[in-house]
Amino acid sequence: MTDTLSTPPAISCKGVWQVFGQNAEQQLAEALKQSGGAPRGAADLLREKGLIPAVQDATFDVAEGELFVIMGLSGSGKSTLIRSLSRLQESTAGEINIEGEDILRASKARMTELRRSTLGMVFQHFGLFPHMSVIDNVAFPLKVSGMGRSARHEKVREIIKMVGLAGREDAFPRELSGGQRQRVGIARSLAGDCSVWFLDEPFSALDPLIRRQLQDEFLEIRARLNTTIVFITHDITEALKLADRIAIMKDGEIVQIGTPAEIVLNPVNDYVAEFSKDVATGRHARVASVMKTGADMPADMAQDPGLRSDMTLEAALAACVSLYGPVPVRDANGAVVGTVSPHELSVRTLEGADQHQPGAQE
Amino acid sequence: MSIDQLRSYAAARPGVAAVWLTVCVGAFCLALEAVFPWLIGWPSVLELPASDWIGAGVTAVLETVKPVARGFSYLMDFPMFWTNALLVGTPWPITIGCVTALGWYIGGLRLAALGGIGLSLVLASGYWTESMNTLALVAVSVPLALLLGGMIGILAYENARVRSAVLATLDVMQTVPTFAYLTPLLLLFGFGPVVGLVASAIYAAPPMARNVLLGLERVDPDIKDAAVMSGGTRFQQLFLVEIPSATTQIMVGVNQCLMAALSMVIIAAVIGGFDDIGWEVLLTMRKAQFGQSFLAGLVIVVFAIVIDRMSGALTQARRKRHDRRGLYLILGLTVAAMVLLWQRLPATADFALFDPLASYVDQSLGNFTAQNGAALDAFKNVLVFFIFLPLRIGLDNAVLSFTWGFQWTPMMSFAFYACAAVLAASLVWCERALAGGLLLVAALVLETGISELPWPFVLMGVGALGWMAGGRKLALSVVLMLLAILLSGLWERALLSLYLSGVAVVACAGLGGALGLLAAASPMAWRVLRPVCDMLQTIPLFVFLIPVLMFFQIGEFSAFLAICAYAIVPMIRYTQHGLTTTPPELLDAATTSGATAWQTMWDVRVPYAVPTILLGLNQTILYAFAMLVIAALIGTTGLGQSIFLALGQADVGLGITAGAAMAMLALIADRLVQGFAEERRKALGL
Ligand SMILES: Nc1ncnc2c1ncn2[C@@H]1O[C@H](COP(=O)(O)OP(=O)(O)OP(=O)(O)O)[C@@H](O)[C@H]1O
Ligand SMILES: [Mg+2]
Repeated sequence: MTDTLSTPPAISCKGVWQVFGQNAEQQLAEALKQSGGAPRGAADLLREKGLIPAVQDATFDVAEGELFVIMGLSGSGKSTLIRSLSRLQESTAGEINIEGEDILRASKARMTELRRSTLGMVFQHFGLFPHMSVIDNVAFPLKVSGMGRSARHEKVREIIKMVGLAGREDAFPRELSGGQRQRVGIARSLAGDCSVWFLDEPFSALDPLIRRQLQDEFLEIRARLNTTIVFITHDITEALKLADRIAIMKDGEIVQIGTPAEIVLNPVNDYVAEFSKDVATGRHARVASVMKTGADMPADMAQDPGLRSDMTLEAALAACVSLYGPVPVRDANGAVVGTVSPHELSVRTLEGADQHQPGAQE
Repeated sequence: MSIDQLRSYAAARPGVAAVWLTVCVGAFCLALEAVFPWLIGWPSVLELPASDWIGAGVTAVLETVKPVARGFSYLMDFPMFWTNALLVGTPWPITIGCVTALGWYIGGLRLAALGGIGLSLVLASGYWTESMNTLALVAVSVPLALLLGGMIGILAYENARVRSAVLATLDVMQTVPTFAYLTPLLLLFGFGPVVGLVASAIYAAPPMARNVLLGLERVDPDIKDAAVMSGGTRFQQLFLVEIPSATTQIMVGVNQCLMAALSMVIIAAVIGGFDDIGWEVLLTMRKAQFGQSFLAGLVIVVFAIVIDRMSGALTQARRKRHDRRGLYLILGLTVAAMVLLWQRLPATADFALFDPLASYVDQSLGNFTAQNGAALDAFKNVLVFFIFLPLRIGLDNAVLSFTWGFQWTPMMSFAFYACAAVLAASLVWCERALAGGLLLVAALVLETGISELPWPFVLMGVGALGWMAGGRKLALSVVLMLLAILLSGLWERALLSLYLSGVAVVACAGLGGALGLLAAASPMAWRVLRPVCDMLQTIPLFVFLIPVLMFFQIGEFSAFLAICAYAIVPMIRYTQHGLTTTPPELLDAATTSGATAWQTMWDVRVPYAVPTILLGLNQTILYAFAMLVIAALIGTTGLGQSIFLALGQADVGLGITAGAAMAMLALIADRLVQGFAEERRKALGL
């Protein structure tokens, strides 16, 4: 996780509302007044009147270079939130700053410029232009900003190679597999050298194997580019694997923001806990989160297995168990037939858990 | 039953209440007919001279814009002259070669052959120059229509407020009969081909606009967002991404636009003054030279097929690319043929390969009518005397001793109604109040005749239908439209139109529905019916008149047949489609429940298909109205005749009011059927 105190946030979102329906702005103001400013009450009032408060009072900062994951069930408002951030739709209320600029006040021309230079976006259903070849799709952001044909093709060849599509430049979207299509989508969003990158469930439409492969490639690309990323998913494994921090949404409301460990170990409510139910806590939680500090420290402690506060629980357990010597193993009649070391047991168990990791599940 | 009980019963079953209310109104009118004759016919004192007012108003407006129109007309003369010169002046081998090459480019061997053979047939028929004249008009009007329609479509897409207005206008334009456009245009542009040009551009623009709008709206939202996020300006988004992504749908628009333009150019021939193929048909038809008019009609059909199939191939999303060498080969052959034939090129008018065919048709038609004329007449007379006339003027007037063998008397009317009342009462007794009410309505219509129905009864009945189909708003709007027709003094003619199109629609619904059912049950039957339907839909309206005239002479019956031939297609298609697209899991569920094929058909497929079939019926009604006006050419009474008369006398007021009345009837039918279809869809949860 990046330290957020020293540098100003890349994205800062304050009290953003997105309400669908007639007269949304006015209705929202009224509802807020009636509920005394409480967002949940206002949302309920709006729903009663038949409006849809798809995003309610979203407030969070994303630090520069951070990978911020938004998670939630289908219909919880994730796409709506990211569309507000990229101003694909006008927020009903609130303030959104991207790299210090209030984008809700930016003019149309300025937004176009920002999208050409700063913002990149990848879509769940790829959004590839069916009438353009791979290279033209990828080079499209450069084309609209007025770059000449050979220059832009030259430039995007590099990116196409980076996403592993070298040699398929002249193919059309319909000739590609799902995984390849999303690579094109990723390449296109990178063509403009963006520094803020939005991805709306980029891997959800893909099968699990391809998904994991693309996740790894995505992390590689990310390490190379160091952009600020807002990533949407409804898959907890994906979120835990990628995220610096995770925001969990429910019915338009952000219910918790925290590091993967915080989400797994200290869910604020059942909804959040339900997400991480199938996740092996030991893999994501660190020793620091369960250790006792200060006066509670007992005087005489056993031997030191060499734990550090940032070890995962799994690793710490394995280290502790290594202090034990081998123990006997008996058959059904009670005769000793062999020995086993507890350390060996724990390592094998964890390996097994590794193979059964959720992630192959939808 | 007390009043309150009645009221709660009516609230629970609005359909029954509406039908019985209508029956009451009808009975009331008939009972008081002798005392208050104005209950049957709208008193003429109350008729507004609407057509005069509208005529004066519109003429005044038209006069002011006339200079602009004449200027436009002058401007259009140039492209028209040059396209005409190009198409007529180009030696025919080159034209045929180019069309063949175009066919190859679009669709390979199949379309190349279609283009080559089609145009050769045209050449052989001797109607080359006339055909090229027609084609020139189409060639100038289509770009206009495409541009107009495309701009309207884009505008509606870009601006939500314009959108609903545009859609409403397009709806109305679809229902305004073709001839009705012509009268005001005639006044604006004066006699000449420009009227046909403008009329066909106006007539062909709506399908283009609709499809452009539809295509743009259907572009995947992710694609639109991707264009925004790539930093495209609105202009770039639209022209670099959205329009190219919508190409397939837009091409459907181009195809429909071409066909509409062709159809209208041919219809516009009734204005005359231009030596085109439509005029040829009209001329020969008037002279009863059926062989020749059959030939000219065939030429039109050939044109329609070539244009339809070629532009239709463009709508296929993934077209195969054909070898360029084929293209060069065809063009090369063309040039070679030109060089070889240069000196000895036969003039196009000299071709008369099919004249023997024409005289053969004439001759065999003569023989046929000589031999079977009596049978044909008998067939026609039976239908006319025992079905058409009673429906039109009622049993009370149609039953005469020299046709039916006895004379209808008031006593019989009384007995007839009494029987109906007894039957209805017994139906009500068996808790089938709706059927009972409908029976009485049918009895009333049959006894009085559609053209002599009391107007309060019609208003009430249509209002009741509107109420059932779409609630108070729909009921109110349809009644208001009927009132407008009443006030305009066109009521009797409107009822006559209603009668003929009604009979045709019922016939189409019955026969078309049965054929659709057959096609759904048997793939074999569909394989036979499908090309027939395709064919019937490609043929321009006008051509339908030729064969019916050949056998049944001028008159209402011929018009009826022409209307049916044209309007039956949607009914067949939609029925077949609706019945064969039942979700597979429903069919599996029916099968595992042990239903036989026919049980599945009646209990699962048909109920599920009802909304689709209703849409087919809707199309059939609109088609019937469209054809009704064209059929005025071969002698129908009613609004179509008025529109046609107005055209002949350049009477703008009558043309517009009659056209508007026709459009209103079509709109009423359209809204009612759509309302029922929508209700069914909701009931099925679709
Ligand atoms: N343009 C719109 N008009 C009206 N309601 C909308 C609109 N867009 C979204 N909604 C509503 O807002 C809510 C949130 O939708 P959103 O697409 O943001 O969900 P999501 O979390 O992205 O779900 P998914 O995982 O299925 O993509 C839904 O109830 C949806 O119906
Ligand atoms: Mg979404």
